[in-house]
Amino acid sequence: MLGILLKKQMAEIFRGYFYDSKKNKSRSKAATAAYIVLFLGIMIGLLGGMFTLLSLSLCGALADVGMDWLYFALIGLLAVLLGVFGSVFNTYSSLYLSKDNDLMLSLPIPVNVIIASRLLSVYLMGLMYSMVVILPAVIVYWVTVSVNAGVVFGCLLLMLLISVFVLTLSCALGWVVAKISLKLKNKSFITVVVSLAFIGGYYFFYFKAQTLIQALLANAAVYGEKIKGAAYPLYLFGRVGTGDAFAMAVVSAVILVLFALMWAILSRSFLKIATSSGRTSKKEYKEGAVKQKGISSALLAKEFARFTYSPNYMLNCGLGILLLPICGVLLLWQGGAVISAFNEIFGERSGSIPVLLCAAVCMLASMNDMAAPSVSLEGNSLWLIQSLPVTPWQVLRAKLGMQLILTGIPALFCTVCIVFIYPFTPLELISVFLVPASFVLFSALFGLFLGVKMPNLNWKSEITPIKQSACVTFALFGGFAYTALLCVGYMLMNGWKLGFAGYMIGFGAVTLALCAVLYLWLKKRGCRLLASL
Amino acid sequence: MLKIEHLTKTYGEKKAVDDLNLHIMPGEIYGFIGHNGAGKTTTLKAVAGILQFDAGEILIDGKSVRTSPLSCKREIAYIPDNPDLYDYMTGIKYLGFIADVFGVSAGDRQERIRKYSDLFELTSDLAQPIAAYSHGMKQKLAIIAAWLHSPKLIIMDEPFVGLDPKASHLLKGMMRDMCDAGGAIFFSTHVLEVAEKLCDKVAIIKGGKLVRSGTMEEVKGDDSLEEVFLELEGE
Repeated sequence: MLGILLKKQMAEIFRGYFYDSKKNKSRSKAATAAYIVLFLGIMIGLLGGMFTLLSLSLCGALADVGMDWLYFALIGLLAVLLGVFGSVFNTYSSLYLSKDNDLMLSLPIPVNVIIASRLLSVYLMGLMYSMVVILPAVIVYWVTVSVNAGVVFGCLLLMLLISVFVLTLSCALGWVVAKISLKLKNKSFITVVVSLAFIGGYYFFYFKAQTLIQALLANAAVYGEKIKGAAYPLYLFGRVGTGDAFAMAVVSAVILVLFALMWAILSRSFLKIATSSGRTSKKEYKEGAVKQKGISSALLAKEFARFTYSPNYMLNCGLGILLLPICGVLLLWQGGAVISAFNEIFGERSGSIPVLLCAAVCMLASMNDMAAPSVSLEGNSLWLIQSLPVTPWQVLRAKLGMQLILTGIPALFCTVCIVFIYPFTPLELISVFLVPASFVLFSALFGLFLGVKMPNLNWKSEITPIKQSACVTFALFGGFAYTALLCVGYMLMNGWKLGFAGYMIGFGAVTLALCAVLYLWLKKRGCRLLASL
Repeated sequence: MLKIEHLTKTYGEKKAVDDLNLHIMPGEIYGFIGHNGAGKTTTLKAVAGILQFDAGEILIDGKSVRTSPLSCKREIAYIPDNPDLYDYMTGIKYLGFIADVFGVSAGDRQERIRKYSDLFELTSDLAQPIAAYSHGMKQKLAIIAAWLHSPKLIIMDEPFVGLDPKASHLLKGMMRDMCDAGGAIFFSTHVLEVAEKLCDKVAIIKGGKLVRSGTMEEVKGDDSLEEVFLELEGE
């Protein structure tokens, strides 16, 4: 029985490589091979290569001072972190929210067998991410330091223990998420806040990592002793890789006990969580005052409701809403330092600094691309806007309006902050507002143009149109490219000869001309295309 | 109320609807029967202004769906076979959205929402997101939304699917009341007993072509509608 379920799980995990859900048909052999090669390239070439380099920089230095255990402890910790990071987001959904829960539970299959088959997919995901770190580290160690059978066995055991520990941690976190999710209200907002905190934390540690590693290598012996004293389990964990029998026995026992505990909790709660409706306590309807809206306002409110309902939509297509005001405040706070830093690099060419500042506003504004997937997001409910007495243009205008409001206001704030920190003449002042404003309009029109030209209405998960669609990719990178053009045109293509104000007004005028073309296209062909979808 | 004249719609090589003619008068409940893939949904979607058709004409209250789509849409309501509504809205927000689009005044909408949601026992769920609704609840919400602006013509594709017996009974009553007040209803169904009891007129479509239409008596004579339908299907 377990074999059959494992086969099914494997087919689900690797389905994406063999089946194109957008076109609803199997991929060609060439496409499948290309996807596999791309995946291996990223995992082995990129991530594996990155961790090989890290291992090379740490291994020799730590082994030379007899701190082999610290090497394994650090790399092992990194492997656990990446393994959990890679699989935790998948754990909750793959353990509890599988679409075939009802089917599986209705079949004569013991619940433990269902859990075991589900755990395997979580295990494989964690294994994949943790091995990308630990495997190159072990190979580097074997090559760099002379090894014996005990060390080889210790390293292999360490890899196995890490994979089991990652599974245990992922499941524990998945279980916590499941329990919270059953009671949580305002899930979208909380998900966005937690995700942003997570991303912020990640980048904070990422930028600090280099400094920390250098400090560690310079004082390996001192830090090693401190860690051994303060975090003895971590010391034992690292000793497993060096082939220490006592450490191997203790760490194996602890990890196995933790795994058994997790299994017991999961077995007891799986059925209850997997069969719960996921509904929080019901909010009773109370009739209140009603305000009648016009059609345009109603359609705009509908777009806002769509945007704020989905954490995926907000996080992937609306980061600029947050980043633009943050950067504005940072400019007010540290504007002088930013300008002097820019001055050292680009100071030779006058006007370069305000061009760069405006380009930064445009770059951040281009991270808002909510109009691009908005047509695809109509999905199965497209019949509504097609059967209601609204024109296609009213529908498109609402989508456009949402992006203009959500991007225009933060971009305006950020531009005002620039004006506070940099002295401009009246003409320059006009140009400083013209370029970001015209860009905000352009990126909204361009995103909507792509959305109408490349719709995907047959998605099963909203992630498909939001994150994996060509129109969103083109809208995002198209915005980046156009922003880069602003800087390149001024600094490398003689734009500076026009003077700052002249160049910016010219650039703004060209952008507005492009806006006019896109606007007319949307009003005519765009509307026809939307009506015929 | 509704005139369909020589309606033709093709998908690639296949003629989904072929030279279809139907007239529906005010006060009539008109049933539309046919096997799966016969062209019922295509016809209903064309009438609702969702699908563009290749040839023919559809007139609603004398106005062409092709040339005056907005005027026509203001007079009608459409309920699809699968009520895919805006999952991200609550029930009350969805009804508010529909009322705004049709310009229903605040007083009228409150009164109608209260009346119909009480009738379908949906009032206490109106503050819930539609994503949390069952299929039947979504169907009830779609029905309330359809009746919200007092349309002259309601087009429904399999409206009884997913409804509990009480809601089905209520819907039948609402359909009758609306037509008695001068409105018209054009709906498809596979439940021939319902069609037989409820409809004033019925049309049977097969392979995109209308094979029989008229009053219930004209279509079935002394036989049951099921016998007539099966006989026509077998031809």
